[in-house]
Amino acid sequence: MAILNILHFPDPRLRKKAEPITDVNDKIRQLADDMLETMYDAPGIGLAATQVNIQKRILVIDISEDKSDPLVLINPEIVAAEGEREFEEGCLSVPEAYEAVIRADKVKIKAVNLQGEDFEFTTDGLLATCVQHEIDHLDGKLFVDYLSNLKRQRIKKRLEKHQKQKL
Amino acid sequence: MANNTRSLCARSAAALTIAEVQLKHRSLNVVMAAFLPQLNDNERSFYQQLCYGVLRLHPTLIFLGNQLLKKPFKNKDADIAALFLTGLYQLRDLRTPSHAAISETVNAAKKLGKQWATGLLNACLRNYQRQHTELEAQLQHNPVAGTAHPEWLLQQYQSDWPDHWQQITQANNQQAPMMLRVNRQQASRETYLQQLLQQDIGATALRDCDDGVLLSKAYDVNALPNFETGMASVQDGAAQLVVKMLDIQPDQHILDACAAPGGKSCHILEQHPDNTLVALDISAERLKQIEQNLSRLQLGAQLKAADASDTDAWWDGELFDRILIDAPCSGSGVIRRHPDIKLLRRPEDITSLAHTQQQLLDKLWPLLKADGLMVYTTCSAFKKENEQQIEAFLQRHPDAKELRFEQAPATARPYGYQRLPGDDVMDGFYYACLRRR
Repeated sequence: MAILNILHFPDPRLRKKAEPITDVNDKIRQLADDMLETMYDAPGIGLAATQVNIQKRILVIDISEDKSDPLVLINPEIVAAEGEREFEEGCLSVPEAYEAVIRADKVKIKAVNLQGEDFEFTTDGLLATCVQHEIDHLDGKLFVDYLSNLKRQRIKKRLEKHQKQKL
Repeated sequence: MANNTRSLCARSAAALTIAEVQLKHRSLNVVMAAFLPQLNDNERSFYQQLCYGVLRLHPTLIFLGNQLLKKPFKNKDADIAALFLTGLYQLRDLRTPSHAAISETVNAAKKLGKQWATGLLNACLRNYQRQHTELEAQLQHNPVAGTAHPEWLLQQYQSDWPDHWQQITQANNQQAPMMLRVNRQQASRETYLQQLLQQDIGATALRDCDDGVLLSKAYDVNALPNFETGMASVQDGAAQLVVKMLDIQPDQHILDACAAPGGKSCHILEQHPDNTLVALDISAERLKQIEQNLSRLQLGAQLKAADASDTDAWWDGELFDRILIDAPCSGSGVIRRHPDIKLLRRPEDITSLAHTQQQLLDKLWPLLKADGLMVYTTCSAFKKENEQQIEAFLQRHPDAKELRFEQAPATARPYGYQRLPGDDVMDGFYYACLRRR
C-alpha cells in the first residue's frame, strides 16, 4: 500500500486522456488499493487515476462516512443519463474550491470490476454526481471547466500562488 | 472528488462551533442549530456530545492544552485550537479508542482546510498520551483547571455557598438528564408513562412534579410518542414546580413577563386553557418559539414582543390575578445544561442583571390585583439575584408578603426557596411567591 501524489490544477498532466485497461491483473488491483488509500487519506470521496499521474481508465469512490463502501470502476462509461442536479462540488486536485455544478441526476453506468467482469448499475444523487466527476478526469476534464472564466481564473491564480510558496 | 463543505464531520463541525462561541460570543444552542442540518444523521449526537463536553470542561482542557503547546494559536486558527481541545476531550473523557481519536482529529483538520496543523495536532495529542499522568496531577494544584470553572464564577460560588460550592461545581460538570412534562389536557402522566414503556423508552415519574417524567437517557423528541401532537414537552422539573406555586384557578388573567421559549406559559395554560394569558418577551425572534410551542400543544395566548418593565408600551390597563417573572439571570444554576455560560458570562453581567431583575419586580408589582400572586424565579444560584433581591423588594414594598409553603419547591431560605445544583436531580433554581395585600 502506498499514498500517491495528487496533481493540482493547473498542472497540464491533469489534461491527458487516459487509455482503456485491457488486462485486469495484480498490478491494476494494487493500483486500486493505493488509490483508495490515497483517497481516504486526503480525505476525499472519489479519485481518478489521472489525478495521480497514471493515464489508465480506473477510478475509486467511497461516499460512505466510515470507509465501508469502496467502489472501483475500470473503463467506466455512462450509457444513459436523465434529469439535472446541482451540487456544490470540490476536487482533490483543486484544493479548497467548492462551486455548484449541474450534472445529470440519474445515470446508468457500465464498467469492469477488479475480477475483470463487466457490470452495470443505475444510481442517482451524490454517487451519480461523483461518478460523472471522476469519469471527466479520465477524459482530461475538471469541474472548474464548468465554471465561468472569471471564477476559473480566480481559482487558478490562487493555486499558482500556493504552489510558488511551496517551492 | 473532495468532500464538499456540507459533508462536515462531527469533529470539524464541533471545532467550528466551539470557535464561534468563543470568538463571537454566540450562544451554543444558536450555533448548534445552524450546524446540525449540515451533518449526517449518524454524526449529530456525537457532534452534540463533543460540543457540550468540551465547553463543560473548557477551563481544564485549556490548561492541559497550554502545557502541551509551545505557543498559543492565533485567532484565525481558533478552529484548530478548538479541534485540539476536542481531541484532548476524546482522549481523557470519552471511550473512543485513542488511535481513532487522534487520527480522526487529525483528519478533521484536513476537512477544515488546515493541512499544516495535522503534524502539530498529532504530536501534541500523542504527547498528552505519554505525559497524561503528570499533566492530570497538576490539576489538583490549580482550582480553575481542577474544577473546570473560570475564576470569577468559582469565587462567586465560594463566597455565596462556602459549604456547598464543591457540590455545585461538581454538579455543573455532569450531563443533565432529560425530563418531560405531560400535557394533562391530553393524557395523564400514568397513561403517557405506559406509552413510553411500550416504545422501550425507559421512564419514571418525576418526584414532586405532578406532570413530570424522568427519562433514562436523552432521546430525540421526534422519537417520543405523540410529541408532535402536543402530548408532552421537554422541561426540567425545576421549571415545572413554578406553576404549582402560582396556584392557577379558572377565569384568571395571567402575565408571563419573560416567557420565551414558552415552557412555563404552556404549562400554565395546560392547567386551565380558558384562562387569558399575556406572554411577553423582549426578543421578537424568541417569541416565535413560544408561538411554535403553543401551536404544537394546541393552546392560545396573547403574545407581545416588549420589554415587560416598560409597561407604557404594552399594558392595556387590566390588572392581573397572577404574574410570573422568570427573570433574565446569570444561569449559574443551569450550567450543566448550558455549559457555554462558563465562556460567555462575565462578572460584570451580574450587576446589570440584578438591576434588570429589580426593574421587572418594581414595574410589574402595581399591575397585580389585591390578593393576587407574583412568582419570581431565576435559574441562578447567586444570592444577589435571588434572596437578596427579594429581601430588598419586600423592604421597598410594604404591601407585599412572601408566602411560605408546606410542600416547599426547594430548600427554604430566609427569603424564598433555593435549589442548588446537585441538591437533587433537577436544575438549580430560585423561587419566591409574593402576595399583594
